[in-house]
Amino acid sequence: MQFLKLLLVVAGLFPFVPEMALAADIKVIANSSVTIDTISARELKNVFLGGKSSLGGAHVEPVLEKGGLTHQAFLKKFIGRSDDELQKYYLALVFTGRGSMPKALASDEEVVAYVAKTRGAIGYVSAGTDAPGVKVLTISDATGNPERRLTFRVEPEYPEELQKRSIGGTVRLKVTIAATGNVENAELLGGNPVLGDAAIAAVAKWKYAPAASRTTAEVSIPFDPH
Amino acid sequence: MYRRIAFWICCLFLAGRSLLRAQEFKLFEHDVQVHGWLSQGFAYSNGNNWLTMNTNSGSGAMTDMGLNMSTRITDNFRVGALVYDRNLGKLGQWHPSLDWAVADYRVTSWFGIRGGKVKTVLGLYNDTQDQDFLHTFALLPQSVYPTDLRDTTIAHLGGDIYGRIPLPRQLGDLDYTVYAGHRSDSIYSGYPYLISQFGILPKSLGGLQYGADLRWSTPLKGLLLGGSRMDQDTTGKGSGVNPTNFAAGVVPYSEFSKADWTNQFYGEYEVGRLQIDSEYRRYLRDQMLWAGTSENVTDVRGWYVSGTYRIAKRLEVGSYYSRYSTTSIFWGALAALVPKQTDISLPANHIYDKVITARVDLKKFWNVKVEGHFMDGYGASNYPDGFYLQENPNGFKPNTNALVVKTGFNF
Repeated sequence: MQFLKLLLVVAGLFPFVPEMALAADIKVIANSSVTIDTISARELKNVFLGGKSSLGGAHVEPVLEKGGLTHQAFLKKFIGRSDDELQKYYLALVFTGRGSMPKALASDEEVVAYVAKTRGAIGYVSAGTDAPGVKVLTISDATGNPERRLTFRVEPEYPEELQKRSIGGTVRLKVTIAATGNVENAELLGGNPVLGDAAIAAVAKWKYAPAASRTTAEVSIPFDPH
Repeated sequence: MYRRIAFWICCLFLAGRSLLRAQEFKLFEHDVQVHGWLSQGFAYSNGNNWLTMNTNSGSGAMTDMGLNMSTRITDNFRVGALVYDRNLGKLGQWHPSLDWAVADYRVTSWFGIRGGKVKTVLGLYNDTQDQDFLHTFALLPQSVYPTDLRDTTIAHLGGDIYGRIPLPRQLGDLDYTVYAGHRSDSIYSGYPYLISQFGILPKSLGGLQYGADLRWSTPLKGLLLGGSRMDQDTTGKGSGVNPTNFAAGVVPYSEFSKADWTNQFYGEYEVGRLQIDSEYRRYLRDQMLWAGTSENVTDVRGWYVSGTYRIAKRLEVGSYYSRYSTTSIFWGALAALVPKQTDISLPANHIYDKVITARVDLKKFWNVKVEGHFMDGYGASNYPDGFYLQENPNGFKPNTNALVVKTGFNF
């Protein structure tokens, strides 16, 4: 029976192996000199690909993480390129005299510290990172509506059996948020179904900032067994 | 030759790690970035010798390298330069050149200016054609990016105005570049090499180059469309024996443009691991030769369609079909000596190249490519296009198959 359970868990994992490269919720942070509070996904992509050097009349420059789940999630969600492809893109700018390599730092903490002290810097860190001295930018969607701000978050419980067997990965959920900010519904888009159940149970307790109408959001939750 | 290739490969690997650590330092409180690359190729062909190399016997005379330094002086002001050197058969011959040296002031996202020796924007890959590691293919489609003619389009001494304009209603972005300057060719490039077979030794070649590029990042994710235009007014000087007057011996030679323009249209589509490119280039040159006593009109048309697919993180495969044709007509004194070349069905006036490639990235900074070319035609009329009489003194064969193996390192 236990073997069957394990088999189901592992089988559930296989179709979503690429999803393991996905990762955490992200927040985009900026130096206090950056005048805007909301940035569209398109503007963010343009800043990180060197197409935009100013926002709201103020100079901006991108700051990257060197790798890791947050970095991968940011690239997948906002840039649409893998890390190798992004490096090639930057090298093309460098070798044609059209740009420089952006600063790349090793951890969320280093990014926060660098963004705090560097005029115009815009970076990204995982949603749970403390970010003193920087402003958190709201990402608006294609229609200009800001993403719903999370005001209360409960972390999911890691299923003991999976953690014991070092089975992890990232779960993607589609979350329906009522105008009041309560989570009305959460459904699994990708990832291990057992981890998905744990994630759905946690997300059901989350609270978002109120808005004029019901909205939906895609949420990624990483499960790291180590 | 094989020992030299092995030597370069060892150098690449050994130098890699130490250089990677040395790519940024401080100078007067400014971060200075240092980047570079080095590539070494080997080519073997049946049929004709290719790209000024003795490829029928296998040739490793296919090396290029570049070293770049750049720094940001203020938020909007950057300076940088790149030194480039190559040896491709008889081209380049290890004569280093300042590839570009630029001061760039970006006023805002939609308006910037750069001046100095600036890389010329023409189509998808003109400005990055030397950076082998950026491309899946060992050789870009030669119908549009002839490596023996890189000097003619690669850079200009002058300035650019550029910017990116976001379009309303989520219609994407427009990138524009407008430029003007002076082009200066190395005497170790393809055109001087071509005319040397006629007994002309050029001392200088270059002139005015101006144009524009407009590219549209469309609302369809991954689709880019664009067009470029370039006009030139060049002058060449040297010495040679005028074939219409052998008795005069070696006399001064000069040539100048009557008309010289290039139109290029292109599209790129990236979806997942697949990338599809296509470009069309037409180059028309109306040129006065021997101090205006003869005129030559060359009409070059090339296009390609390429596809690349990343099978795994470090493994890519690709293929392209590249089609090139040229016509050449002389008027004046030389018309009696050089027949018209207008039939593009003849192998002398076309090259149709089918290519397959595999690229493996052994490390993030080290790649190896293996590429097969299957060429119909040799295009060796009066325009340089990879096949030269100097390497094929017994005449040309209609078909050439070539194997190119290339390894490259960058940091």
